[in-house]
Amino acid sequence: MLEIRAVNACYGKIQALWDVCLEVREAEIIALVGSNGAGKTTLLHIISGMLHPVSGSVTFLGRQIDNLPPHSIVELGISHVPEGGRVFPDMTARENLEMGAYPSRAWKHRVKTIEQVYQIFPRLKEREKQLARTLSGGEHQMLAIGRALMSKPKLCLFDEPSYGLAPLLVAEIFRTIQSLRDQGITVLLIEQNVRHTLEIADRAYVLENGRVCMEGDCAELLQSDHVKKAYLGL
Amino acid sequence: MLVTFLDIVIAGLLLGGLYALIAMGLSLQYGVARVLNISHGEFIMLGALTTWAFYTAFDINPLAALAICGPLAFILGFIIHRTLYKRLLNSSGSLALFEGNSMLASFGLMFIVQNLALMFWGPEIRGYSYLAFPVDLAGAVFGANRLVTLGFAILIGLTFYFFLTRTRIGKAIRAAAQDPAAAGIMGVDINNVLAICFGLGAAMAAIAGMLISMSYPVHTGMGLEYTIIAIIVVVLGGLGSIPGSFIGGLLLGLIGSIVTYFEPGLALAAYYVIFILLLLVKPTGLMGKS
Repeated sequence: MLEIRAVNACYGKIQALWDVCLEVREAEIIALVGSNGAGKTTLLHIISGMLHPVSGSVTFLGRQIDNLPPHSIVELGISHVPEGGRVFPDMTARENLEMGAYPSRAWKHRVKTIEQVYQIFPRLKEREKQLARTLSGGEHQMLAIGRALMSKPKLCLFDEPSYGLAPLLVAEIFRTIQSLRDQGITVLLIEQNVRHTLEIADRAYVLENGRVCMEGDCAELLQSDHVKKAYLGL
Repeated sequence: MLVTFLDIVIAGLLLGGLYALIAMGLSLQYGVARVLNISHGEFIMLGALTTWAFYTAFDINPLAALAICGPLAFILGFIIHRTLYKRLLNSSGSLALFEGNSMLASFGLMFIVQNLALMFWGPEIRGYSYLAFPVDLAGAVFGANRLVTLGFAILIGLTFYFFLTRTRIGKAIRAAAQDPAAAGIMGVDINNVLAICFGLGAAMAAIAGMLISMSYPVHTGMGLEYTIIAIIVVVLGGLGSIPGSFIGGLLLGLIGSIVTYFEPGLALAAYYVIFILLLLVKPTGLMGKS
């Protein structure tokens, strides 16, 4: 579904990704693991068109997308829950969801899709008229996820959706992400919570210093000495 | 005493409605498109002189000229953003650099537009008389054209508010103002939205110019003063806040009217004093966020 080949990316003169290759198949949950500054967020920015690679290619459903602007990539069916949620603070929760349905193919169905999102997150319905800036951390993150679902994506990118949340909420967010796969949405997930992530994901890539240093089935990675030592604290 | 008070308040609102309109246009250009558009006043001048020319040469009703000037200014603003500011944005590297570069470019644009207008219309002060009969408002007497100006400013303000809160493109504009990158990953074509904002700002300036020409004399050098007033109102209302610009405009009009009552020559000086005090005490403005 998504294929990243030998991508190099830079911020100014600093190279953030080195020859990164990654593949996501349909209806998989793929985890992207690594320490801070390893290049995980940069890779998501490359996929969603916020940053263009210096070399290498990104193909989605057979189409090369690495030169497209972000809004064209959303049209193709990739949506992105950015780091920290990035909801629009001075719009109501409902307006934020409407913004998620901005691509014309999704705009027509926005009223119905909003109801579906409210079924996943009933809290958002209670808060629909509130400005996003007044929501709690958990509601904020639910809104960001709900907003990403509004465009009816085929592939959804998550950048640390559980960051800073209480354990109960973290569990709820993880359950939601798992249920997305059951609805046929493919997921690429970045998380600090490595153990939990490897438990729900199918395969994972470990990024270190901008390079993919390990990849494989999550069950195998959980057994690897390197992963245990570096990311699970064992 | 009461009549005097009413006199001042209504005169202030009449002036303020105009300021509000001018400032809302600049607020779109600066708050969303990040262009501190020094040439804003030149679009006001173009609107004013075009309306004057239509009225005196072809006897076209100034209010009908709106239907021509508004869309033309929008197209002109849209094209200017697409050709000039979009390139600057791409080549500037950072938003801070772009704000500096785009302001300088708009300075240049101001001279170009002003001098072209000067070649075409000359430096004479022009005016015409339209709806100039007096209307009695609770003892205070005003020209009908001033009241029409206020009515239009409020109507356009409201229309614009509904446009921003109810329509798809209006929501995209607000989203882009709050977080352009996040708006992009929602599917908003950010360059297009910025050009639309710039065009809308130009259209609002031209409409304001048309209204100004109904009540005040106009000439090719009139723009800069309005640009400065617009900048003061935008800062007063809070950067990027459209309702703030509307309220700030009315407020500044009231202040201008009060000062004019005591000493007509000091209105502009009072605006500068307010501007300086504001920057020192509350730089985020009335409705701005830090």
